[in-house]
Amino acid sequence: MKKIMLLLILMIIPSYALAVTDEEIIQEQSIQSHINDTGSRILNANKIEQRVAFVYDKTEKQSLLKIDPSLTDRQVVLYSGNYKFIQNDDELAAFLSRGILYAMKSYRGFFNGYLSALQIKAAPKKFEIVADKRAVDFMVNAGYDPIGLITFIQKSCPQKRFDRFSNKNLTSKRLAVIYEYIYMKYPYFLENNKYFENEHYQNFLLTSVNNRRMLLNKIKSGSKEELDYE
Amino acid sequence: MNKKIHCILQILTVLIIGTQYAISADLVQDEIVSELLKDKNYTRPCVNTGYNYKDTKYRTIRLTIIADINSEKDVYEGQTVYFESVDDVYLNRKRILKKGDFIPARVETIIKSGMNGIPASIIFGNFKINNIEPRQLEDTYEVFGQDRSLWVFPLKWALTPLPPTGSLTNFIKGGRAKLKTNEIIELKFYPHR
Repeated sequence: MKKIMLLLILMIIPSYALAVTDEEIIQEQSIQSHINDTGSRILNANKIEQRVAFVYDKTEKQSLLKIDPSLTDRQVVLYSGNYKFIQNDDELAAFLSRGILYAMKSYRGFFNGYLSALQIKAAPKKFEIVADKRAVDFMVNAGYDPIGLITFIQKSCPQKRFDRFSNKNLTSKRLAVIYEYIYMKYPYFLENNKYFENEHYQNFLLTSVNNRRMLLNKIKSGSKEELDYE
Repeated sequence: MNKKIHCILQILTVLIIGTQYAISADLVQDEIVSELLKDKNYTRPCVNTGYNYKDTKYRTIRLTIIADINSEKDVYEGQTVYFESVDDVYLNRKRILKKGDFIPARVETIIKSGMNGIPASIIFGNFKINNIEPRQLEDTYEVFGQDRSLWVFPLKWALTPLPPTGSLTNFIKGGRAKLKTNEIIELKFYPHR
């Protein structure tokens, strides 16, 4: 009897394990397929003639020692640590659009783009803002709402302590620059803001009062100065 | 009986609307939208999802800027600049752009020159040409300054064994992005898209 029981258990366990693995694979395939579709739509809509691949990676986040694969392999890698913050297509498009910009940059310049990749690695702060702005354009051209970029960053990027002595911009500064860019170029999305009642957008409004006041004063005064956001 | 039901319905309606107002009053308001954008009725920007890449042949539209522009001088993002067509452009034997026609564009992004010889750049976009749809035209055109990182990076690596001399290359800035009136830029025009 014991032997039969043991045999039964041994038969059930591997099939159960296999079922779980199958489920995981199907889930991964579904995520990968969704990423591919969104990424290709952005590439096509923006007439991007360089090849860029999109990969979903189950690992939590990129290793600190690894260089961004958008620059080296021209592939946008979406780690599970980022994917868990994505709640809709706009936010997925936001993430991919930023990666596409980096991949595009790595095609241009000396040594088949190697020098451009080095420049981005050497001055990430400068190109972070450029990637945010161009991501807004890519999203709009492909039919996505650029406010999704604001909600995605609001949720997923922590606020650094310093701006001047860091190789990353303050998240609040990035968000303010994106908001200003959308205001200047695509005011339609602010006027008809489908994210207005979204909790994360509301949180952005709550935490960006001073920056938006600075922008309001700039617009009212007609100043062309670049604002030093907090 | 009907009156009672009617009365109850009215009270419920008032309560529901009142609750909605109370909820919206709790929301953080965006004063930029309420003061500057309200009732402006902006149209939704063009979406380019109806693409067709069966025929990807393109021709170039040659343009020159009508006033010199420099990334470090009197230029701001959102500024409208004007280009001039260098040649006549024909499509199906019909002239769609005349030599000397003015074409407005916008300064989309200015990237200031950075440390280690990284050049400045200006990204122009939103070119508006009559008879040509935005999706048929290259989206943006980027002008770069002199790229000094080509020799600054090797110099930096060569000096790295002698600290802190390698770090001194950080102070070498890249070139400014300039576009002069005699420089011709080429925009791709895809007539079959």
